[in-house]
Amino acid sequence: MHAMTVFYIIIQQLVNGLILGSFYSLVALGYSMVYGIIKLLNFAHGDIYMVGAFVGFGALGIFGGALGIGWLGITVALVISMVLVGLLGIVIHRVAYQPLLNKNAPRMSLLITAVGVSFTLFNAVMVMTSGEYKAFTTSLGYDGISVGPVNITYTQIIMVVATAVLMLCLYWFINRTMYGKAMRAIALDQDACRLMGINVTKTISLTFFVGSALAAAAGVMAGVYYGSIQFYMGFIIGLKAFTAAVIGGIGSIPGAMLGGLILGLLETAGTQLPFVGSAWKDVFTFGILILLLVTKPTGILGKSEIERM
Amino acid sequence: MSKKFLSMLAVTILSFTVIVTGCGTQGSAPSGTSSNSSDTQSTAGSGDIKIGLPLPMTGSEATYGKDMENAIKMAVDEVNAKGGINGKKLATVTGDDACDPQQATAAANKLVSEGVVAIVGGYCSGAVVPTLTIYNEKNLPFIVEAANSSKITDQNPGNTFQINGTAVHQTQKAVELFKKLGAKNVAIVEQGDAYSSDLAKQTEAAWKAAGNTVVSHDVTTKGEQDFSSLVTSLKSKNADLVFWTAYYADGALLIKQLRQGGYKGSIVVGDGSSDPKLIQMAGAAGEGTYVLSPPVAEFLPSAKQFADAYKAKFNQTPGAYAPLAYDGINLLADAMKRAGSTDGKAVIKALTETKDFPGLAGKVTFAPNKTLQESNFIVLQIKNGQFVLQ
Repeated sequence: MHAMTVFYIIIQQLVNGLILGSFYSLVALGYSMVYGIIKLLNFAHGDIYMVGAFVGFGALGIFGGALGIGWLGITVALVISMVLVGLLGIVIHRVAYQPLLNKNAPRMSLLITAVGVSFTLFNAVMVMTSGEYKAFTTSLGYDGISVGPVNITYTQIIMVVATAVLMLCLYWFINRTMYGKAMRAIALDQDACRLMGINVTKTISLTFFVGSALAAAAGVMAGVYYGSIQFYMGFIIGLKAFTAAVIGGIGSIPGAMLGGLILGLLETAGTQLPFVGSAWKDVFTFGILILLLVTKPTGILGKSEIERM
Repeated sequence: MSKKFLSMLAVTILSFTVIVTGCGTQGSAPSGTSSNSSDTQSTAGSGDIKIGLPLPMTGSEATYGKDMENAIKMAVDEVNAKGGINGKKLATVTGDDACDPQQATAAANKLVSEGVVAIVGGYCSGAVVPTLTIYNEKNLPFIVEAANSSKITDQNPGNTFQINGTAVHQTQKAVELFKKLGAKNVAIVEQGDAYSSDLAKQTEAAWKAAGNTVVSHDVTTKGEQDFSSLVTSLKSKNADLVFWTAYYADGALLIKQLRQGGYKGSIVVGDGSSDPKLIQMAGAAGEGTYVLSPPVAEFLPSAKQFADAYKAKFNQTPGAYAPLAYDGINLLADAMKRAGSTDGKAVIKALTETKDFPGLAGKVTFAPNKTLQESNFIVLQIKNGQFVLQ
């Protein structure tokens, strides 16, 4: 085993940070999209990620026998989870949020409802699983490439590539399709959209579908990568992804991607730094983020809101 | 105006209901200060001797709680079948502490208000420590069966007896094991809670006192799944042994990621991780991991009968703390008989005077600080997907 010189440590931690950041980015995207379109901080989003992991676990359990628990089985489970949880996102929007939006309810009510949805989701899963951790077993091994003492497994590479692909697809969707155009338009001015004949409610539902599907994808990948899932796993990642979305500029899609990566990199850097270590890494990370926000309150890529009187 | 007010009121009440029911039944969530009548389950009739059982019945440690409750109930049934104590039958009241200090306090108050005369149980040290004075105020003897943080020993108001090996005993065993494995640079990883932090700090002190090096002492967050940066950090510090002092769910992930990251040294885990689920969740990466364990039934020659009876009754093998849980009730029954009453102070005195009580896990005699005179920790290793006694 080669000794880990500073150069190799930096490379390995960069890789670690990139992978961690990918998960944060995928979940942060959902936060940003929903906020951008209806100005709601969807606290239930972290739990959508968790539900996605469990649906993927269930799907793998059902189809694993036929398709095996290698990449084919995982991909099928991923797709199933994305679709089903995307639909769940639509249901939540129609049942919990849209009625309040229709009545021009105060922002606080929407926020509380989101908290309620979050509690409902993870408590339901807790009861159904008796609070137990479920082992997400796949047949993936630890083969990978080694550059000196730096190890990168094929699984990690595929995760990062998959995340990048999903984000590229989202970018294409938002910027090159009519649906995406509608979403961006609604984020600017809802009433004008209605005047232009855009079905605002349907488009918002679509936003929830896409955001939830992405979170579900992250959930399944986390299950595959880390190997265990539990009803409470959405809490921490929801909190961090939300922070990442704000750092990158809430409402901005590239911002969410950037925010997630920055957060992941800061965390891994914090663990390695002397005087910080894993005990203080969160203090370190969030301290820097506070400074970032103080200097640029709307986030790195955020746009300042101009209120037209 | 009133319609808007009514709808806001309805939303508030609805969300409040959701939050309260959520807080009342969940595990390690950011819980508030709710206490629910659903937290205690009692089997008592009037005239029975009520024993309170504070255990994690929900949350990440629920499997331990249920296992201990099973063993306790089995012991209670056996005592009752032999005629009970001083003519009265034993009955149990379970209080769910969910391994959370706030819920534990609420459950403790509930148990006390139900009129229990003794307390047996306690798995998570973090959930036990805040309840010690609550029980002591009513002079309730508290037999702690699994929680072993030295915080409990230090803050013992006089009514608490620990029949599990404490962190002091476990530290001794750990240092012994590290020496045997020829480790030079040890890295310790804990989770900041009463149990893991205590074990980590004591092990660090003891290892350093023996003239060795602790290359890093890290604290991870419970529930966070990504240890990759920690793994890299440990590798960069050339640790040849990693000692994980917290629980099995995150421990399994750490083990997986250590091996995935190419770590070749030894891995030792404390008794909070000594669970078959560790093997299941760590998978192939778990091979060769050393586990410090409380005396588990399958490795105790005296416990064969107990293990068979447990298997017959509950359709599963007894868990790691079942023998101790079983011993706790029998020890309490023995103390009550010796005291000739269920009066708290008398029973506490009788417990203090316990000498060589024959438990499944070994003979119980209490040292002056009300912990075991002799340690009962054992060392296991994961070989071929099974725990093997070392």
